[in-house]
Amino acid sequence: MNLQDFLSSLTKRGGGDRERTPLPDDLESAVRQVDGNVDLIGVFAASAEAAGARVRRTSGADWLTAIAGILGDLDATRICTQAAEVGFLSRARSAELSEHLRDSGMTVSTDTGDDELFSADASITGVSAAIAETGTVVCESGPNAARGASLIPPVHVAVVGAAQIIPDLCDYFEQLPGGPELPANVNLITGPSKTADIEGTLVTGVHGPGKLFIVVVATAS
Amino acid sequence: MTVALFVTCVSDTFCPRVGEAVVRVLRHCGCDVRFPARQTCCGQPAYNSGFHSEAAELARRMIAIFEPYEYVVTPSASCAMMVRQHYPQLLADEPGWRKAADRLAAKTYEFTSFLREVPEFDVSANLRFNEAVTFHYPCHAREFYSARDLEALLSRVPGVDLRTPRPVDLCCGFGGIFAVDHAEISGAMMGDKLESLSQTGAGLVICDEGGCALNLAGGAHRRGTSLRFRHIAECLAESLGLMEAEE
Amino acid sequence: MSASTPFQQRVAAAVADKRVVRAVHLATLKKVEAREAGMDQLRDFEQIRSLAAQVKQHTLDYLPRYLEQFVEQIEGRGGAVHFAPDAEAARRIICDIATSRGLKRVVKSKSMTSEEIHLNQALEAVGLRPVETDLGEFIVQIDHDTPSHIVTPIIHKDRRQIALAMQRELGCEYTEDPTELTMIARRHLREIFRNCDLGISGVNFGVAETGTLCICTNEGNGRLTVSRPRVHVALMGIEKVIPRMRDLPVFLKLLARSSTGQPLTVYTTLISGPKRLQDADGPEELHVVLMDAGRSDIWAGEFREVLRCIRCGACLNACPVYRNIGGHAYGSVYPGPIGALLTPLLHPAGGHEELPRASSLCGACGVACPVKIDIPDLLVRLRAQTHRSHPLAKRVAMRMWLWAMKSPLVFRLGQRLLRGLLKDGGDGWATDGPGPLRAWTQPRDLPIPPKRSFRAIWQAELSNEDKRG
Repeated sequence: MNLQDFLSSLTKRGGGDRERTPLPDDLESAVRQVDGNVDLIGVFAASAEAAGARVRRTSGADWLTAIAGILGDLDATRICTQAAEVGFLSRARSAELSEHLRDSGMTVSTDTGDDELFSADASITGVSAAIAETGTVVCESGPNAARGASLIPPVHVAVVGAAQIIPDLCDYFEQLPGGPELPANVNLITGPSKTADIEGTLVTGVHGPGKLFIVVVATAS
Repeated sequence: MTVALFVTCVSDTFCPRVGEAVVRVLRHCGCDVRFPARQTCCGQPAYNSGFHSEAAELARRMIAIFEPYEYVVTPSASCAMMVRQHYPQLLADEPGWRKAADRLAAKTYEFTSFLREVPEFDVSANLRFNEAVTFHYPCHAREFYSARDLEALLSRVPGVDLRTPRPVDLCCGFGGIFAVDHAEISGAMMGDKLESLSQTGAGLVICDEGGCALNLAGGAHRRGTSLRFRHIAECLAESLGLMEAEE
Repeated sequence: MSASTPFQQRVAAAVADKRVVRAVHLATLKKVEAREAGMDQLRDFEQIRSLAAQVKQHTLDYLPRYLEQFVEQIEGRGGAVHFAPDAEAARRIICDIATSRGLKRVVKSKSMTSEEIHLNQALEAVGLRPVETDLGEFIVQIDHDTPSHIVTPIIHKDRRQIALAMQRELGCEYTEDPTELTMIARRHLREIFRNCDLGISGVNFGVAETGTLCICTNEGNGRLTVSRPRVHVALMGIEKVIPRMRDLPVFLKLLARSSTGQPLTVYTTLISGPKRLQDADGPEELHVVLMDAGRSDIWAGEFREVLRCIRCGACLNACPVYRNIGGHAYGSVYPGPIGALLTPLLHPAGGHEELPRASSLCGACGVACPVKIDIPDLLVRLRAQTHRSHPLAKRVAMRMWLWAMKSPLVFRLGQRLLRGLLKDGGDGWATDGPGPLRAWTQPRDLPIPPKRSFRAIWQAELSNEDKRG
């Protein structure tokens, strides 16, 4: 069946002289909860922690040791990172990170094939944006940015540049491109994987990562 | 001001004392209270059951009966909602009646709302309780005030020991004919409500709705629960010394 | 009136099942509190609700236009759109996609629309064994049960039943610990995800402007379902479309809060076309199945606003009827207040007249609805459409009652008659009412009306008294 035939069950009946509701123009003034005049890092950290993520606030100098510390505390040895440049994790910083982790005795792979992802102890990704209101990190698909990287390993470490934090959920959707630049897959991630299906008891890590660490790096400008 | 009392069929039959209390409190507030004797039922049982032409017949009748009065006051939030919300809907296709329905809707008040909105009278300041008290918020009062409004009103009563039930706005399971057609569900809902009221530890329940009171008191009696249900008008009349406390 | 419908029989069984009633009470009351706390975080949630209602209503009022745009956008991004005028067509389309490509290992994320069309049975009929991967749905599937809540499918099950099903079907050690049970399911489903080739999901919102599918989940199985397999099929009712990307936050801020009190679901996934050429992973094919299946009939009639529903489940949680009978008693995929509307509207000949009648019209559902569907009012309107289907005895009783209410004289006689008919148990109460009042006195007593009605007191005393002050 084609579109016009399919729609004929609507268009034939038309709705008659029914009054039609206009599309509201100003959504933002009612919907916005957080504006730019707050401590964005503080709001972001509080929201993310409330959603069950663990947030580490670091400076440009100690972000590498912070990540190594997180992974070391978990006894994680097999680590996946992304080859792509995403947000704060530029090619140079990714290389620096891999080197630092290898020096700490970990195995680091930038390959995000199934064998790596399904056997990794943790993955580290950059993010496209972070949202203060909800404590959300955003991962977009792309070349070398696998959908599975923030999803399959049991631990996800998201690295956020402090400048990437935007105030409100509406800010993210406002800036999303509509054309071909819109990524095929975007994930707004708010806390670790959760379920409460069994008697309402909260359990994390049912399918996605059971632990989400967010490392916020405030670099000196 | 002239106020016509719409006592409702339930109060007329089962709790005339509520009507009497309304009359005495309104007179105390300086109202000239009338009782149009031809009144019966607002038609809500028919309306809720989907018998809308039958409900419209009663709506037209009620509109004609109350047309001459300045205000209409009823002790029932549910019947007030019927008049204010559903009469204009029911008669939407009959322009003359629709206008008359709008006029009646505009001047019809649920008792507590009337006291709060029209004359200068502080309900809370004039109430007294000599025991712990809780309340049942009638669902259909939503049109007029929230459960939190009722809670606030009662909490301002001097010296009150107010026990707020949880959830604060739980339905009692009455629902008119629903209570008969689906007695099992209705009975289970009533059980939940009695449980939540009992848990407050208060023996006196303010219940401003005849149908809910009939349902809850009947359930409490069946279960041997010692809850007593009183309309706020009765409490006011007693506090003001306009009526003897009931045994 | 006494005619016992299948619905009433199910209700009787449900009310008597104390274990389920208790489980549903605990779960729903907790969710009501979580919802209220979640809404209180918002600066002005009433205003956001109004906007959400308006955006959805607008989309419905211009539905053909937005569907055209949506389809054009998906196709422009390399996705395929299929049109299913009814459930049978939707089932056939999805089975054909699977069989024509030789896809065998099917995973599903939770989708009420797929429940609505009994998709799993259809897939099984062509030799496939779809695996439900949402934890609740997975347990429903292995225990050969059906969901009883649109968000929390196993709200009616306790941990013992779940433990037994897992032990029986997966051969694992018996444990009642929710974390251990969850991890057993994780390990089992992980292998299935690793090797699947077809993923079937529902859709929460379809953005017309960009052809984007928005899927809101907490567990991550939804993400795995739409990113692991070679082919992703999304089944979507035509009412799920919204105009623009920037309309999404209005709904996202309400959906999870209404469901569970969370500000957002853990994963909000936006899918715009299949995997791009250079993408590291993702499905090569994206198929969107747009389904009507009775929706255009609802759309064309007076119940259009029902289609605003975003399936958050808030009305179920808020409903004291649902709390006492659970989801299965409704005998339909969509239970609770919204189900009491949707079920008879989607299946007008299905004999569901009793569903909209089984409500006290308390209005808790309408207050909870994030898109402001006036559920109590619509329930009454549905009752009005079907009032002729009441048994003759009831219709006659209604006429007699009306006749009595039109005459103050007959009304007064009726009051006396009632007094005469009620048997006083000795303390002013009747425990066994006559005729239709027998049902009243099933769970409760009825007071014997006082000798003097209000009108009698008025006439004798009140009308003559002077004003007192």
